[in-house]
Amino acid sequence: MSLLEVHHLSKAFGGLQALRDIHFTVNPGEMLGIIGPNGAGKTTLFNILSGFYVPDSGAVLLDGQDIRGKKPYQIVNLGLTRTWQLVKPSLGMTVMEAVTVPSFSSRAREQSSTNPGQRNNIRSILARIGLGDKLGEEVDNLTQSELRLLDICRAMMTHPRILLLDEPFSGLSHKESVNVSQMILELNARELTVVIIEHRLKELMKLIKKVMVIHFGEKIAEGSPTEVVQNPQVIQAYLGERRPGVGMA
Amino acid sequence: MWQNQKAFRKTIYLLGPKKKMDVLIIGTIRGSLYSLIAVGFVLIFSVGGILNLAHGTYYMLGAYLTFIFYHLVLHSGAGGTLVLSMVLAVASVAALACLVYYLLLRKKIESLIYTMVMTLALALFVSEIMSLLFGVSGSSVPSLIEGHLVISGVKIISHQLILLPIAALILPGLWIFLKKTKMGQSIDAVSQHRTGALLMGVSVEKATLVTSGLSSGLAALAGALIAPVSAVVPEMWLFPLIKAFAIAILGGMGSLTGSIIASFLLGYAEVLTSFLISEQLTEMISLVVIVFVLIFKPAGIMGYKSS
Amino acid sequence: MGKLKNLPFNLSQQSPLGLMILVALGAFPLFSRNLLYVEILKVAALYAIFAMSWDILTGYTHEVNFGFAFFVGGAGYMSGALNSFLSFSPALCISLSALAAGLSGVLIGYLTLRLKGPYFSMATLAFAGILYKLAFIFYKFTGGEEGLSGLHSLTPSPITDFYLIWAITVVAYFWLIFYARSKHGIILKAIRADEDVAQSSGINTAYYKVEAFALSGFLAGIGGAVFSHAQMNVGPTMLSGALSVLVVLLAMIGGMGTIVGPLAGAIFLSILNEALRVVEAYRIVIYTGLLIVFIYLAPEGFMNLAFVKRTPWLKRFLLGKEGSHEPS
Repeated sequence: MSLLEVHHLSKAFGGLQALRDIHFTVNPGEMLGIIGPNGAGKTTLFNILSGFYVPDSGAVLLDGQDIRGKKPYQIVNLGLTRTWQLVKPSLGMTVMEAVTVPSFSSRAREQSSTNPGQRNNIRSILARIGLGDKLGEEVDNLTQSELRLLDICRAMMTHPRILLLDEPFSGLSHKESVNVSQMILELNARELTVVIIEHRLKELMKLIKKVMVIHFGEKIAEGSPTEVVQNPQVIQAYLGERRPGVGMA
Repeated sequence: MWQNQKAFRKTIYLLGPKKKMDVLIIGTIRGSLYSLIAVGFVLIFSVGGILNLAHGTYYMLGAYLTFIFYHLVLHSGAGGTLVLSMVLAVASVAALACLVYYLLLRKKIESLIYTMVMTLALALFVSEIMSLLFGVSGSSVPSLIEGHLVISGVKIISHQLILLPIAALILPGLWIFLKKTKMGQSIDAVSQHRTGALLMGVSVEKATLVTSGLSSGLAALAGALIAPVSAVVPEMWLFPLIKAFAIAILGGMGSLTGSIIASFLLGYAEVLTSFLISEQLTEMISLVVIVFVLIFKPAGIMGYKSS
Repeated sequence: MGKLKNLPFNLSQQSPLGLMILVALGAFPLFSRNLLYVEILKVAALYAIFAMSWDILTGYTHEVNFGFAFFVGGAGYMSGALNSFLSFSPALCISLSALAAGLSGVLIGYLTLRLKGPYFSMATLAFAGILYKLAFIFYKFTGGEEGLSGLHSLTPSPITDFYLIWAITVVAYFWLIFYARSKHGIILKAIRADEDVAQSSGINTAYYKVEAFALSGFLAGIGGAVFSHAQMNVGPTMLSGALSVLVVLLAMIGGMGTIVGPLAGAIFLSILNEALRVVEAYRIVIYTGLLIVFIYLAPEGFMNLAFVKRTPWLKRFLLGKEGSHEPS
């Protein structure tokens, strides 16, 4: 039984067709990567899935339930959370406060009352991601990469079943990327379903087993990384003539 | 208003021929007055991102300064006193507005809260000064044209008619300025896309400075022209401001044509209300417009810029 | 429940300045029976209630409410009318009026949900303006220009009046501080920072915005109704734009988003206003001029100055210590 199903999703802005007839499925425990050139519509897709845009046509089923038209916070409380590509810092708050906000959501409260072991999660997650010593720091003082880590942390605090990561590695150093990759793998091992948009293919291809390519709002390929990389349409649209080293190394 | 065509036609029918003329003429005069005020308000908002809550104050100062200069000039014995006073009043207000922008607003212009609160505080301050200097009863200025005319059986105060040719001159003049002159074009560019204009080498600060002077000058002109025939009191800044805002959101915060049309709409609506229902409710119209448009159509009616 | 951690009153985390002001206010009549000064402090305390309740909305969401007189004057008039025409006791009048103000906070909050920035502000201004105009149109109920007079006073003596108001100020202060430091305040701050991000954390932002509006209105309503009975009359000034702007300035100069800031701002500036009576003719002009200077020097208020934030002991003295916010 699939966790997320997207059927014939289309969205246009004025004259521009941002997404055309997108369809894909994500099963529980899977990790799906979404790649495509800039402006392909990937973030638009995330915005629709998370409830910030309403699609012109098509269906989005989360656990069999149609979530079109639901407000973003409602979708989060059903178990789908996203992170932000353009960092949106929670200015005027401390790190601790910023990460506590999701714990006030109805979902987080349910989860922590049924799983008492989830308490003290904040500190451990922050420590795990590398922000452990920044608890009392004002968000205004964080660096770009710290803000991105904070956003990922925030998303995880909603206890999602499926997490949409929008370019999680952008702006991160190599060490931080490796750390975040590790975290994602750990969470995935604990049954978190993940969908990742990324440009940094090296990091991405190490994580995921299934990849979808979007170009000009349409899905042009889907499959394992090696398959996709060899797909001529994909090469032409996105990767250029040469073949990057995207092996499993 | 235009949606209910049938009711509208019926109310016009109730007016009778003489009143219809009244509404037309007085409404047009009012619309001209409002357009002078509203256009400046929209301009400074789209160019500077400043919701200038002191805009009504510039209008008020146009009136008060005309009064002050009139008495000063009178004593000096120079000729053309009234027109000269009006010109001086408009020029001083424009200079003042530029100073306000340069000294008080420029550095913190990114903070909308600050510009709103500062301009509002200034409005209050100036109002209190006027109260102190001139008291709460009105100050009077002689008219440019004394007496009244009777047009189609309607009595109109002659001086008010001046608004029509002036608006008819200034508004197209403004359009020409914005589209054809270099400074105007840079102002236009900034109003459409601040960052874009910045990247193209336009001096946003300079454009905003000029716009401050221009927008306040227009408001002051309106105040100066209206001074002989209306109550020049320390509270006269509030409602022109409210009306300017109502017109701006009705016509679209980024659209000058929209605000001109909306100015006349409001003008006619007010006159109709005062004839058909009651004088007291006229002031309510702009308030109700604001509430209704913002709440039921927050994306704006005609304008393309909603934020 | 972890929530209980915030409930017990933790004195050490309160702002020393805030406590000092409240104690000083309360102690004043014990040291001086000068009724004029007590009266001045009474009005100052009322403005503190207004400023603080304004702050819980605007300071924590950064949407500037320019129509605060709606709640203050609305409740003031309602209380006055209930007292004048129906002879309800002041206690009943005040309770009903405050409730009505709170409910209108819900209504206006709901109606303005989608508005931001200048649009929100002008909408609030418009609501207050409409109520102001209505007060003149329905002069039979509101006494028009002169307002309603001869209202019953709160208590038999000015001193007890003062203590009643002082008690309300203290309660309002701690209620708001508690609220601001609770999840409600944190969520408002998150909404202030970025409403989309708050939504993407599973928060029903609309609910919390309306709730803050209701609280703001309710407390303002208490203040307004009490004000009218303290003065034993209510007039159009309570619905005026001048009142709204004054509250905004007092709160902002003190420091938006701190609750203590508006308390301090209202008290000190009200005292300053009275102190300026020596130059009565120019008083209002000087006072307003000073307010402008203060706003220019400290656009976000004195409590929020970078200088304060950088100086730990000063920050601790003015703002107290934020509690830790462990979730339940």
